[in-house]
Formats: sequence, structure tokens, C-alpha cells
Amino acid sequence: MVDLSTLQECETAVIHSLSGGQRFISRVSAMGFTPETTVTMLQNNSRGPVLVYLHDSQVALGRGEAEKIIIKKDDQ
Amino acid sequence: MTIQAGSIIKKERITIALAGQPNTGKSTVFNQLTGAAQHVGNWPGKTVEQKSGHYSHNGVQYHVIDLPGTYSLTANSLEETISRDFILKNKPDVVIVLVDASQLQRTMYLLADMLPMKIPIIVALNMMDVAEQHGRKIDVKMLEQKIGIPIVSMVATKKQDISELIKKVHHYVQQENPTGVCLPGLSEADEILSGRLQTILTGSIPSHYPVEWVALKLLEGDTGIIEMVRDHIPEQKWKKLEELLVQSDERVLSIASERFSWIQQVSADAVTSVSSRAAKITRSKFDQLATHPIWGVPIAIIITLAAFMAAIIIALPVMQATLVGIAPIVEGVREVMATAPHWLGAMLADGLLPGVSMALAFLGFMMGMFVVIGFLEDVGYMARVAFVADGFMTRIGLHGKSFMPMFSSLGCNIAGVLGSRVVDSWQQRMMTMVMAPIVPCLAVWTVTGFFGTLFFGSGVALITIILFLTLFLWLTFTGFLFKKILVKGEPGGMIMELPPYHKPNWRTIWRFTWLHTKSFLLRGFTLIAAASLVIWALSYLPNGEIDSSFLASIGRVLEPVGHLVGLNWQLVVALLAASLSKEAALATLGVLYGISSGSGDTSLTGLMLSGGVLEESSIGLVLRSAISPASALSFIFAVFYSVPCLGTVGAIFSETKSVKWTVAATSYYVFATLLAGFLAYRVGLLIF
Repeated sequence: MVDLSTLQECETAVIHSLSGGQRFISRVSAMGFTPETTVTMLQNNSRGPVLVYLHDSQVALGRGEAEKIIIKKDDQ
Repeated sequence: MTIQAGSIIKKERITIALAGQPNTGKSTVFNQLTGAAQHVGNWPGKTVEQKSGHYSHNGVQYHVIDLPGTYSLTANSLEETISRDFILKNKPDVVIVLVDASQLQRTMYLLADMLPMKIPIIVALNMMDVAEQHGRKIDVKMLEQKIGIPIVSMVATKKQDISELIKKVHHYVQQENPTGVCLPGLSEADEILSGRLQTILTGSIPSHYPVEWVALKLLEGDTGIIEMVRDHIPEQKWKKLEELLVQSDERVLSIASERFSWIQQVSADAVTSVSSRAAKITRSKFDQLATHPIWGVPIAIIITLAAFMAAIIIALPVMQATLVGIAPIVEGVREVMATAPHWLGAMLADGLLPGVSMALAFLGFMMGMFVVIGFLEDVGYMARVAFVADGFMTRIGLHGKSFMPMFSSLGCNIAGVLGSRVVDSWQQRMMTMVMAPIVPCLAVWTVTGFFGTLFFGSGVALITIILFLTLFLWLTFTGFLFKKILVKGEPGGMIMELPPYHKPNWRTIWRFTWLHTKSFLLRGFTLIAAASLVIWALSYLPNGEIDSSFLASIGRVLEPVGHLVGLNWQLVVALLAASLSKEAALATLGVLYGISSGSGDTSLTGLMLSGGVLEESSIGLVLRSAISPASALSFIFAVFYSVPCLGTVGAIFSETKSVKWTVAATSYYVFATLLAGFLAYRVGLLIF
């Protein structure tokens, strides 16, 4: 199990769980980050925010936020 | 699960609340519904803008309230609290919920969150054209049946779609009873907990809160609802409730998941996708550049500069007309008033008219800014700037979207203040608005540059570098301070939607511009004209000479304070004049030290309009002999950090619509001026 910030560009994964406080979970889940949702990484440089695609939308996440989203990669 | 809402009594005046996630085209729908009949104010007791408007249909008045765009209705932000409080307390006759057909599942989340409130809802399924371009067909009839509430599919810019919405709203509130509604379910564990909570809550909370919904929000850990419940229920019940809530830790995620499975369930059969998913993810070349870690920043700077220029170009005719047009009018008034008492003529010609003309010029510039801001917001580019600038902006406590306002503040602080409205969250917007005027505008550089060169020659370069460094420190400190005051709970990192690019809708942009220009006319314009009249009066009375005026007297009274920061009364007066406009500071010094100002007009507004043309050789000699280098350094720093010009203060007032905020921000700038002057003077004394 890895976090979203490790997903490479063009890779797709499924969200497994979220860590972090209630407020954080409330905010990201309202944007569509819930378990079993498919996420595709659009842009991920080694530092700075990442850009992902889910539910037909592009969403930018700070690296710290992406690290709190745990994913299952296709091959796992 | 189904619910049955009560029948609705025939009414003459209907209230509609317009809700929707950001970027679902809510403002377009609002504009299309209400046309020119719009009003902008604040939500009661808040500094969050409220837009309202009205239209009539079949002899019934419809009052439309535009709720803030939010992703959910959990109290994570002020906007969300405002939206749901309005729905619960004001009980609108119908809530129109905007959903973006091209991003159907994600944008339906707000609807899923809102349905358990058991309020009358109509869904406006917008952007059907975009969904079709993406190869997606939506069977609206089927979706309507599955959810059990009326849905209007539409393209918000199309007139016939809007009249369809109007008809449906009319039909809904006048005749039909809402049928059974399919609500999002709960997991088994949540259902049991919710049941227990409801038993405790029933009869103990105010009747306008639906018990089932309150139980749901308690499970989600919604702080606003927890507080409300604690305030109302007896101690014993609260203890029981708290025990249950400890068990309900982390329910928030399972509830959100259930909402998405509900969305999946109701939309699965109604939506057919023609194209493959891979095709939908392709991003345009421009978008890849705009979010590029290296190229994104220069692109953001170029676009911000272009936006600033565009605003000036739009504003130029108005600014030119007022500044050029004022001279013959002033002359005319002088002639007419030649026989009247001198003070009356002077008040009109030197006080009121230049003040009004200045306010008009500001008005022109603001209109230009509003067009540009409206445009950039409408096409969807702003989120890209935020994405690339976030790393840097968070260092001074701001959000990525604060980049454009802070950067354009270097040109003009008014642009910075107005631009801060692009920031979504309330506290970040307020922080940006207060911090943008700290950034020195072009006029400030003119004054500090002139003064610095006069006293320190090439040393001005070093001073400029130090000014920049202290500016960065001060912004960081201010950001830190305001975060402490404004932000409660854990800090929110970036979680931001990058909306698809849209073709600009000029009608929406124009409405936006006109509405806010009107709002400025009401507040900012009046403030600027009145304040410039007061400052003129102080500089004119009692005998028409600035160096023996009340303003000079104030300067002399303030001299003890001035001494502390190394400023004599002339410099204090110049600093006071700088609050009218930065250029006026130099011109005022010229007059106070008896140096001609070129135009021969020694009234303060006259000096300001003449642009403060000073003869450099003579002023250099006079000022250098009268002011010590340490005092000069203090003056440079004090001007650099001084209260922004009247136009900026007017803009803060116009944007916050709050006297309290305007006064608080201004006081903060005064404090900064004194502190900067004091420190610069002390350091200066050590060096020189």
C-alpha cells in the first residue's frame, strides 16, 4: 500500500483509505476522494503539488494532502 | 427510503435559493434569471458577499438568493455555514441545485448532501452541451424518476432553457406536491448509530433542524452542529450523546462513500458514455504549460501583467476624461464663484471637484479591473495560477490564488484589493485583501526612489534591497499574525479543482462589472470624495495657506510622536498627505519648505493633480540642509509602509462593506508606518 504522492504520471490507481483529521477527510471526500474511486495522476514532479484526475475532474492536491491518501496500484 | 413533503400553499412572493458547487455555472444562471434586477450586499453580520435579485413570472414575484458556491454543506468553511443556515432558518420555497452534466458524479455530491435536509429541491443540470461533446448522453427523465425530484437539463446561456427552468420552478411551488424522493443511504453501522442519536435528539433541538439530518451531521463530526446541539440539549442527554459520538469517529468517510454509491446507483443507467475514458483525460498544450513547474510561473506573470494593462486600457478613457475634463470645470466654477466668499469657491474648485474627479478616475480603473477579473474567473485560468504559485504564496501564509492580487498590487494597490476576490475561502480572501496594500505600488517607488537618490545617491540601490527584504519579513509576519486571528482549527492545504476552460460569457462579465461598480459608487466613491474634501478642508482652513493650516497644526501636535521616529512636522504633514495619494507627499514637502511646485497651485488637491513636479536642484539643497540622513531614512521607510492611498482604502471599504474591517486594516498600516519609521531612524542614527 502506498500513498497518492508516489503515483507516477499517467498511472492509475484505486483509493484504499484516507488518513488525517476529520476536517481533512470531510474536505477531500466532498471532492470525490473516497475509497474505491479510480484516480489517474496527471502531473507529479518530485516536489510541489500534484494534479490528479477523478470523477471527470482535474483536482490539484498539495503534496502533504496527497500523502494522506492511501492507494492500491493496479498491480497490487 | 422515501419522504413525502407537505403541500405548498399558494404564495405571491417566492424565495429561491441558488446552490451549487463552484464552477457549475451558477453565476450565469443567476444572471439569466434576474437580469439587471440585482443587488449586492453582505450576508448579515458577515463580510461575505451576498448577491440577490428578482424576476416575476405569471404575476408572481420570485426573489433569488445566490448561495456561496460550496462542495458540501459540512461546516468546514464560513461559506458552507452561511449556505445551510440560510436554508434552515429562512426556509426558501425552493432550492435550485446546479449540477454540471459534464462532471456529473462529482458535482452531484452537494445534492446528495442536501437531500436529507428534506427541503424542496429542483436540479438544474447545466452544461449539457459540454457533456455531449465529451460523448456522454444523459437520460434526464430516467434520472428524474430515480431521484424523485424535478430536473431541468440546460445550457445556462440559452434563453429557452432558462424559461424552462422558470416554468418548472413555477409549477413546482404553485401546484405540485413533491413526490417520493430517493435519499442516499447509510452503512449498517451508521444507520444504527444514527437511530440512537435521533432518539436522544428528538424534542431537544430547535424545530427548524430536521432531526435525521442533524444526526447525520453529528456522525460526520460537523463542529457547527455539535456546538448547536450542545447549546440546546440537557446535560444528561449530552453525556449520552458524547459517548455515541466517540464511537462514531471516522464515520465521515463512510457517509461520503455512501453518498457516492447513491450517486452511482441513481446515475448508472441514466448515463451512457460513447467515448473511451482515455480520450477524456487529454489535456491541452496550453494547460500543460500553465501548470508546468517551470513555465507556469512566467506564464502567470505575463498574464497578470497583460490583465493589469488591459484594465488600464479599459479605464483610460474614463480616467483621461475626468482628469482632463476637470480643469475647465474648475476654471468655470472659479469664475462663477468669483463674487462668492473665497472659501466657498476654494472648497468647490480645490476640494470637492478634484476629490470627485479623483474618485471618478478610481471608478474607471475599478471598472477595468472588474472586467479583467470577471474574464479570468470566467475562462477558468485562475486555478492554474494558484497551482503553480501555491508553494511560494504559502510561505507568506497565503493561498496560490493570492498570487495575482499580490503581484498586481505592485502596479496599484487598488488592483490588489479588488483582485483578492478571486480567492475562494473567506479567511484567505480577507488576508489577501489586508496584505495586498502592504505591497508598495508604483507611486510609492517613485517617492522612495526620489527621496533615496536625493539623500543617499547610489546608496538608494542598497536601500531598495533592504526595503524588499523587510517587506518579505513583514508580509510573513502579517500572514502569521492573521492566520492566528482568522483561522480556527487545522490549517487547510491545497485541495483545489482545476475547472475546464470555458469560452468567456460577456454578458456574465458585464453584469459582474456593473454590479460591483454600482457597489463601489455607493461606498468607495462616497468615502473617497468625502475624505478628500476633509483633507482639503484641513489643509485650507483657517486662512487658505497649507503651512499655517489645521493640517500643519496637526503635524505640529504630532511632532512629539514624529520625534520618536525622527520626523519633523513638515515630514509628518507630508506623510499625512501621502494618504491622499503618494505623489502628494513630495509636492507637499515642496510647499512646506517654500519650493515652487511648478503649477503655482499650492492647494493640496492642486498639488496632487499636478503630479508634484518639483525642481530637483533647488529641493535637493533645501531638503538636505533641513533634514538629517537618519530622518530621511525614516521618512523613506515610513512612506514605504504608510497607509495606502484613499482609493485603496475606498476599495477595501467597497469590497468588505464593513467599517470595522476598513478601520482595522488602516490602523494596522498606521502601526506599520510608525514601527518602520522608528526602526529605520534608530538604525540611521547608529550609521550616520
